[in-house]
Amino acid sequence: MAKAKDALLDPLFNNNPIALQILGICSALAVTNKLSTALTMTIAVTLVTACSNAAISAIRNHIPNSIRIIVQMTIIATLVIIIDQMLKAYLYEMSKALSVYVGLIITNCIVMGRAEAYAMKNPVGLSFLDGVGNGLGYGIVLLAVGFVRELFGSGKLFGVTILNTVNDGGWYVTNGLMLLAPSAFFLIGFIIWGLRTWKPELQE
Amino acid sequence: MSNDSIFKTFLVAFLLCVVCSILVCLAAIVRIDKEAYNKQLEIRKTVLFAGGYQQQIDDGGNIDELFTSNMELKLVDLATGEYTTAVDAATYDQKEAVDNPELSEKIPADLDVAGIGTRAKYAAIYLEKSGAVILPIRGAGMWGPMYGYIAIAADGTTVKGFTFYQHAETPGLGAEVDNPNWKKQWPDKQVYNSSGKLALKVVKKGKYNPNAADAVNTIDGIAGSTVTGSKVHGIIRYWFGENGYAPFLAKLKAERG
Repeated sequence: MAKAKDALLDPLFNNNPIALQILGICSALAVTNKLSTALTMTIAVTLVTACSNAAISAIRNHIPNSIRIIVQMTIIATLVIIIDQMLKAYLYEMSKALSVYVGLIITNCIVMGRAEAYAMKNPVGLSFLDGVGNGLGYGIVLLAVGFVRELFGSGKLFGVTILNTVNDGGWYVTNGLMLLAPSAFFLIGFIIWGLRTWKPELQE
Repeated sequence: MSNDSIFKTFLVAFLLCVVCSILVCLAAIVRIDKEAYNKQLEIRKTVLFAGGYQQQIDDGGNIDELFTSNMELKLVDLATGEYTTAVDAATYDQKEAVDNPELSEKIPADLDVAGIGTRAKYAAIYLEKSGAVILPIRGAGMWGPMYGYIAIAADGTTVKGFTFYQHAETPGLGAEVDNPNWKKQWPDKQVYNSSGKLALKVVKKGKYNPNAADAVNTIDGIAGSTVTGSKVHGIIRYWFGENGYAPFLAKLKAERG
């Protein structure tokens, strides 16, 4: 039971994929200018990591060592394509906003990294929880960055106006940097700094 | 049997491929129909927005119903300005026609103020119940192509509405072309002046004077996006010029008066 809890909760802070393992940065820069896209991406990545971990763990005793990476890749790619297709079918606007970044989950190092490092050695249930935990650990950072970028870049949260912007006749002058991808670099930097100050044992 | 035997390796690879391809096929089957419908819905929504039906949509009106009861698809031969039935309107795709040499023509560089290179011979326009027309426009933006619709009243010169449905302008700056507060200055502007010359223009933010004689032909730009403003200006100048909709709008006006 303690192991299950660790598998699920460790990746949130102690072993956060973005803040500690520095994985999945590219999509974290690209899809965080709005909370809604960040949330959709979080759900997509969590589903993919959890399901791919579970599937790979289920057949881990039958995967020939010589083709193990390509087997993991095929399973991950299949799951990502299914999610991409479902977004295009049922959340068309959202799929346009996320554009290529859903497809790029295939190459997201978090998914592949967890398959190779965890799912190949652990039972299905634990692997699934590890996938959920890592997806959520990725998501926490995405949502934190998305929160700051949308609030200060567009004066909104989930599309609801919080700060009335000058362009809409209000008082708030938007911070244009927050709408562009490089701002996420700074924000993720601050998050990493904050996390390592809070938990000094994470410092390298 | 050893996991690493050649037979087992091929077996695992084969089974995995079969299972994965079946799953991907199923997902694609679900997606194909839905996506075609979603794309059509997006166009319909844009056309209705440009045509002044935003209120009805915001009030929860059914987009398909509003569209079919108010809009009629027509093809216009841009060279003559006449309606045409040379190709089937229902299956005609103007975006694809641009890449088809039989359905498009090159624009001489000196006339190409919208930066589009080639133009489809026929434009798929929508005729609104009141006689207004909703015209597709496109052109090069700052970072990528911009696609939109502009609605012109039956008098052939009064703008009813304007909206882009696809562009890649800078978020927070050029992308403010989507801001309703910017778009609301378009309705009631005049494309042509009293002597019938193309007069509609987009000026740099702050150069707009509401008391000037040509205020009715002038759109104020967007703060911080001079380039996007001038691109939109180019799009307007091209599509309402002699190589765009001018012949068609002249006929529209003549028929009415």
